[in-house]
Amino acid sequence: MERPIFHPVGTPIEQLDTPALVIDLDVMDRNIRTFQSYFADSSVKTRPVVTSHLCPQIARRQLESEGTNGGVAVTTLGEAEVFANSGFADILLANQVVTASKIKRLCALGSQARIGIAVDNPDNAKQLSEGAVASGVELRVLVEIEAGMGRCGVVPGPPVVALAQTIEGLPGLKFDGIMGSVPGPKSDDDLLSHESKTQANLQVVLDNKSAIEQDGLPVGVVSVGGTHCYVQALQMPGVTEVRAGRYPLMDHRLKAFLPELSPAAKILASVISHPVEGMAVLDAGHKSTAPDQGRPVLEGIEGAAATRFSAEHGIVELEGDVQGRLNPGEKAWLVPYELGATVNQYDYFRAAKNGKLEGFWPISARGKLA
Amino acid sequence: MNEHYRPTPGTPMSDLDTPCLVIDMDDLDNNMDVIANTYQGNGAKLRGHSKNHKTPAIAHRQIRRGGTVGGVCAAKVSEAEVMVHGGIPSVFITSEIVEPMKIARLAALADQAEMLVACDQASNARDLSKAAQARGVEINVVIELETGLRRCGVREINAGVALAKEISSLPGLRFRGVMSHQTIPEMPDREDRAVEAARTIKGVIDLKEAIESEGMPIDIVSTGETWSYDVAAEIPGVTEIQGGSYLMMETHYGYMTEFRYAAKILTTIISTPRPGVAIGDAGVRAVSSLSGLPTVFNYPGVTVEALDSDHSVFRVDSGANLNVGDQILLIPAQQDAMVSRWDRFIGLRQDKVEVVWDIQARGCHN
Repeated sequence: MERPIFHPVGTPIEQLDTPALVIDLDVMDRNIRTFQSYFADSSVKTRPVVTSHLCPQIARRQLESEGTNGGVAVTTLGEAEVFANSGFADILLANQVVTASKIKRLCALGSQARIGIAVDNPDNAKQLSEGAVASGVELRVLVEIEAGMGRCGVVPGPPVVALAQTIEGLPGLKFDGIMGSVPGPKSDDDLLSHESKTQANLQVVLDNKSAIEQDGLPVGVVSVGGTHCYVQALQMPGVTEVRAGRYPLMDHRLKAFLPELSPAAKILASVISHPVEGMAVLDAGHKSTAPDQGRPVLEGIEGAAATRFSAEHGIVELEGDVQGRLNPGEKAWLVPYELGATVNQYDYFRAAKNGKLEGFWPISARGKLA
Repeated sequence: MNEHYRPTPGTPMSDLDTPCLVIDMDDLDNNMDVIANTYQGNGAKLRGHSKNHKTPAIAHRQIRRGGTVGGVCAAKVSEAEVMVHGGIPSVFITSEIVEPMKIARLAALADQAEMLVACDQASNARDLSKAAQARGVEINVVIELETGLRRCGVREINAGVALAKEISSLPGLRFRGVMSHQTIPEMPDREDRAVEAARTIKGVIDLKEAIESEGMPIDIVSTGETWSYDVAAEIPGVTEIQGGSYLMMETHYGYMTEFRYAAKILTTIISTPRPGVAIGDAGVRAVSSLSGLPTVFNYPGVTVEALDSDHSVFRVDSGANLNVGDQILLIPAQQDAMVSRWDRFIGLRQDKVEVVWDIQARGCHN
C-alpha cells in the first residue's frame, strides 16, 4: 500500500507529502458535466468505464450527472467485484472470462448486480451458461466484435450471427446485444484521419447488428468504446451506448482530441536535487508515474521539460531563463500521459478544491487485475 | 489489494486465477545462493535493494542465506518504514531525503534501526542534523557521487570532500562513507564487465581516498548493482554492493546465466480470434512495457507481439498449439516496474503454491 501522510482536510495541496496523485474536483466535475451533456438529449447514453480511475466515489459522481445509462463498465473480474460490493447495480465486464474458477466468481456476482459479459466464442458461452444455471442467475451477454483493436472479438460476419443464436438458445444467458472497441488515435493521426477510421470501425459493428436482426434476433444493446469515439458514435444511428473512461480525469494522450476537457488528475512531485545548472531531479520516477506508453508532461514552467524517468527519479531539463528554477524542496506538477497506468500505481487520490485538500479517496479497485 | 486472493499452499499453478505474479522458489533460492557463495569470504557483501521486491520476507530470506551485510537498501522513506517494521535492523536509503516531513520520518526510524541516507548537498546535511538532534538520534550519512547516471550526486571530488567535512562537523550525524550507482549496456563477457566496473567505480574510490587523506575515516563504500555484483566486489575498497534485479531477474540481464528467471506473470489465454493469434489477460498494468515487451517463458512457437493496458497479443506459429484457457508465463524486460504493480507474490515450487508473500511496500512512493 501507499504510506502517505494523511493531512487534515483544508491543507494546502502543495504541502502534501509527495509523490501524490491529486484530483482537482472542480475540473473533474466540469469534465463530467461537459462530456456527459453530449448524451443528455440523445438516445445514445454513456456507460462510464471505471477501469480508468478505479474509484467508486468518482463513478458515483458520473452516474449522478445526466447522460449515462446508469451502468458502469470494467475490464477485470476483480474490478467488477469491487464495484458490485460498492453498490453499483449494473456492471458490464467488457472482457472475456474463460476459466472455471473465474466463471464461478462471475456468477456469484449475478445475485448482487445485473452483470453483463462479453463473449467471443461458443464454447465459452456454454461454460457461462452452465455456471449461470448452477448459480441460479442470469448473465447478460454481449457478443464482442473485432472492430480494429486486433485482440478479442469475433471476426465480423456469419460467425457473429451464429454466436448470437447460440447464446440466445442457452439457459442462464440472455443475449443482450453486441459490443466493439475501436482504436484510439495513433500519434500520427490528425482529427480528420481519426474520424474516418473511427466511422469505418463503428460501421463494422453496426453491420453486424443488422445481420443478427435480419436473422430474427433483436439486438437491444450496441455498445462501443472508448472516449475517443464518442463524436462519431453519437452520429451513427443504431449505437445505444458509448463506453468511456478517461473523460473525468483526462490525460495528455487524449488532450488534443478532447480540447474542451482539461486534465484533472496530476502528480505532485518534489525536487530532491538540483545538481547542476539546467537540471533538477524529482522524487517521482517510473514507479509513481508509469510512463510505459508515454512520458508525463511537466506543467507550469515554460522552458522546463521532464525528459527521463528511472525507477525512483524523474529528470527535468531547464533551459534559458529557468535554468536555476526547481530547487530542492520545491514542487512540480506532472500530467500523466496515460491515465489508467498511472492510477494503477496509487492507492489514494488526494481530492482537492481551490488548492486545498478535500480528502483521501481510495482507489478501491487498484491492483484487481485477476 | 486483492484481499480475497490468497491461494492455499499446495494449490497447483493451473488452478490460479490470472493474471498473477508468481515466483519459482527453486529459482529464487538459486539466485540467493549465487550471492551467498560469491561473497563468502569476500570483504565486500551485498546490501540488497529492497526496492526490487518490497517484501521484508524476501529480505530476511537473503540475509539468512548469507552473503549480505545484514541490512538492505531502500529507495524511499516509506519503503524503509516497511523494512524496519518488518524487522530489518539496518536500512540505507539510497536517495536524497530533503523535505521536512520525510526527514522527520527518517529520524523517527533511526530510533528503531540503523538508518543510513544518501546526501549530495550541505543544506540537506544541516536539515538532517537538526532533525536528528531534535529527536536525539543518530543518522548515518553517505555521500553520493554521480558516475554516469546524470541525476543526483556530487559532481566533483573536491565538492565531495567539502561535503564530508561539513557532515563530520554536524551533531546528530555520523559520516559513514560514499556511494555511486552506474549502469552499462548489455555486456556478457566477465572481463569486459570487470574493466567497465573498474572504470566507472574509480570515481567513488578516488573520493574515498581523498576524504581519508583529510583524516576522516570511511567504513562504507557502497556501489555496484546486478551487472557488476561479482566484479565490483573485487575492487579494493568496495565494502557493499547494491544489487536487486538478480533476485527476480529480467531479460535485460539475460546474459547473466548464473541467475534464473524467478518472477513471472502467469496469464491465461482468453481468446483465439484468428489463426495464429491468441489473446492473454495480462497487459501493461500487469507486466509493464517500460523497457520493452515481456518474453514468453518456455513455450516454443509463441511470442508476444503487443501489449495493451489489460491484454497481451501473442503470435502463435503454425505447429504451436495454444487454446482458450491455456496458461502462459511471461518474463519481464524490467522486473521492478512489474513488481511495483502487484500486492502479492505467489511462491511456487514444482508448480505448486508453497508460500504467499504480501508485497508490503508496494506503492511506497513517498
